[in-house]
Amino acid sequence: MAASWFRQPSILPGFGLTLGFTTFFLSALVLLPLAALVFKTTSLTWSEFLDVVLDERALASYRLSFGAAFIAATVNAFFGFIVAWSLVRYEFPGRRLVDALIDLPFALPTAVSGIALATVFSPTGWLGVRLQELFGIQVAYTWLGVVVALILIGLPFVVRSVQPALVEAQRDLEEAAETLGASPFTVFRRIILPAVLPALVTGFTMAFARGVGEYGSVVFISGNLPLKTEITPLLIVIKLEQFDYNGAAALGFMMLLVSFLMLFAINLVQSWSRRRHAGPADSARRVERRARPRNQKVGA
Amino acid sequence: MSIVLDQVTKRYQGAPVVNDVSLNVRQGEFLVLLGPSGSGKSTLLRAIAGLTEIDHGRVALHGRDVTHVNSRERHVGFVFQHYALFRHMSIGENIEFALRVRKVKSAERRARRKELLKLVALEGMDDRLPAQLSGGQQQRVAVARALAHRPEVLLMDEPFGALDAKIREELRRTIRQIQRELDMTTILVTHDQEEAFALADRIGVMHQGRLLECGKPDDLYTRPATRFVSTFLGAANLLLGYRTPRGVRFSSTPMAGGDVPREVVAILRPEEVELCADELAVKSNFVSHGQVEEVLFGGAVERLRVRMASDGPVPVAPGRDGSAGQGSLLEVSRTLPEQRDFPVAVGQRVAVGARTIHVLPTPISSFTAVAANEAAARELRDSPLLLTLGARMQTRVATRIGRFERAPPGMPAIATGPDCAAAAEWHLTHGAVQLLCVPPTAPLPNHVVIHTLDAESRRATLAVAASLLRHVAAEAIYLGIQPETSAESARGAHMRNLLDARSAALADHGLDMRTELRPGAVAEELQKELAAYERSMLVLGTSNPETIQWDWLKSLLEGTPGRPVLIVNSARAEPAADS
Repeated sequence: MAASWFRQPSILPGFGLTLGFTTFFLSALVLLPLAALVFKTTSLTWSEFLDVVLDERALASYRLSFGAAFIAATVNAFFGFIVAWSLVRYEFPGRRLVDALIDLPFALPTAVSGIALATVFSPTGWLGVRLQELFGIQVAYTWLGVVVALILIGLPFVVRSVQPALVEAQRDLEEAAETLGASPFTVFRRIILPAVLPALVTGFTMAFARGVGEYGSVVFISGNLPLKTEITPLLIVIKLEQFDYNGAAALGFMMLLVSFLMLFAINLVQSWSRRRHAGPADSARRVERRARPRNQKVGA
Repeated sequence: MSIVLDQVTKRYQGAPVVNDVSLNVRQGEFLVLLGPSGSGKSTLLRAIAGLTEIDHGRVALHGRDVTHVNSRERHVGFVFQHYALFRHMSIGENIEFALRVRKVKSAERRARRKELLKLVALEGMDDRLPAQLSGGQQQRVAVARALAHRPEVLLMDEPFGALDAKIREELRRTIRQIQRELDMTTILVTHDQEEAFALADRIGVMHQGRLLECGKPDDLYTRPATRFVSTFLGAANLLLGYRTPRGVRFSSTPMAGGDVPREVVAILRPEEVELCADELAVKSNFVSHGQVEEVLFGGAVERLRVRMASDGPVPVAPGRDGSAGQGSLLEVSRTLPEQRDFPVAVGQRVAVGARTIHVLPTPISSFTAVAANEAAARELRDSPLLLTLGARMQTRVATRIGRFERAPPGMPAIATGPDCAAAAEWHLTHGAVQLLCVPPTAPLPNHVVIHTLDAESRRATLAVAASLLRHVAAEAIYLGIQPETSAESARGAHMRNLLDARSAALADHGLDMRTELRPGAVAEELQKELAAYERSMLVLGTSNPETIQWDWLKSLLEGTPGRPVLIVNSARAEPAADS
């Protein structure tokens, strides 16, 4: 049996079929286009490539794209947690409505949210005027506008990944901590947060990844000033419009590389924390299961 | 006293889930709260720990009133059914948690951790994670963690519920040992009577939010006061008997002549039944003949069911098989030596004797719906109040049609409405000890008003009210009413009387109720109190039915909307509860 060495025991048949599908879809839809991108990039020479990706304008766009996505994901991790918390833990009129509203940024065409944001935050817009008057802050056509758009786009990712974790978090753990003398803050920090953290990191990662690639909603509010409010995806589109396919591919390759590295790092952190929290138990149980005769109760 | 509960009440959406529970637990005592699921025992435990706020009453731990103190300052140890260990912390960190939040120094923490791990026999497990331990070990860690901050009391909510039988027994022994060693006041909640017997210094049985009885395990088993406790703790045959000068008589045929017989509820434990070949061989008190219907071999004990002769004892609650013309089924269990002495087979005719019976002190034995015709009697019997009361008290609701010389034994029930007052008067002057007037559509009450027309009837009235309230999730208020013109001194005396009544009710029946003294006229005040609640009921006591002024009662009994009224005639009530 060729596959038996990496096969997980499962009572359901169809392992070969499902693995085949997985491989095919991943190849056709993810790996192949990405490989094409890399391949396209290789038609540039090293110096040409470096010229494109280390161009001043390109560097500024990386800073904005990754920086704004990071800030937006961080803001979302914080407020998304609060939103998820109030949706799970409290019963209030209109809770279901709020719950449904969370998904709206998912469903809306991103251009629509971009136009909507631009209208509201533009210097003559309803919110833009007030922010300008009261705080002297201009949102639209600055890097702040990019962050605002990415917050809107990323919020559902955090809320939807934290929500189930909060639902699952056992209330009796909090009660146990309370009877042991823990203050509400300690209960939150020592009991609730560790339980929700993996989901929170997942939500953060997804919001971040989405933010880096976001185009539609950003271009309307950012103003697209070169070196100032130009995001990398926009730069790629500009290159494409100038029929500079190789330059576009080079920038795309850079985005791919940085995104991959960042996601990989986050995944590493996460798997490390999972190992810390539950991992040894699983591995120990696996060892135990192997060491003990089959019919004996594990750990009894 | 280590734990004092005073009239603790917790309502959930208006309905009391813990109802007027008062309880004292001594230092070092192991109390087990036993009850079926939904009886309010866990809620009560959580109320003691401060995890649930209470709506009424007081909780004191070691003389400190903690009613409004939150759980982290109550200084209790709480053990949850599903362990509730912090999964991301090691065993050691779990145990040290309470000390860490108290900012105890690390050397001291480590010493305490070592000590506790030794106590629960898990030395050297400090660095494991909860998921690496078995259920039994995890629960031992939970116990150690709950003890870390040296709490004053230990509270355990079904701690063995999620474990299998063998580990459960082992852990039970460990916990008992630790509890003794530390002289720790402990309350444990369970629905498992075997567990309660194995652990408890004292068992409190809860049912429908009320603490029905509280006592030593053997006392509760041999001398229960209520039907519920007698059937919940072990098996019991509940039989209706008649008190005669020569003892309790079991028979379905009424005695000829004389007064209305005093009906009592007796319990006959299956192991107290003696089976013999014939009446002469019965060494204990002969009850009746019967036929063996079922024999189940069960190792050390044999379980049998014996169909009694049709003129034999009447079960309190007619079971599924209590069809007309057939005798009742009796549960019997026999030990091996008994089986050897007299082997029986299915179908065999046997003589049945009772070694010991225990007469329940409950004043309510059975109900009889009395009406002029069969349809009305059936309607009355199936009225929501009587139907539920009969089911909850596991008691018989018989019917009787037309007029007789004397009132029926037990508690007659008549419908409110036209002529109710006259019928009530007739029953009370013709031998009825109690009388229930039932509006045909009235639901179970949630507010019971108790009032006695004279001081002599207080005792009997409270006994009946207590018996009723054990089976109805209602709040009780004992109302004293005094003419507005009465002197200050008289009012004081009346108030004292009321408080005496309250403590008597608590001491004798475990019934906790509120008391109130109101100025005014009896009729008006009672009517006002009853009208203030939609589902109210009146329990009225008198020592002489002839002196009842029927005109005001008439408006209550015949007006609309009717309220259930229970009248207690203490002139014929039992002098004292006995066993």
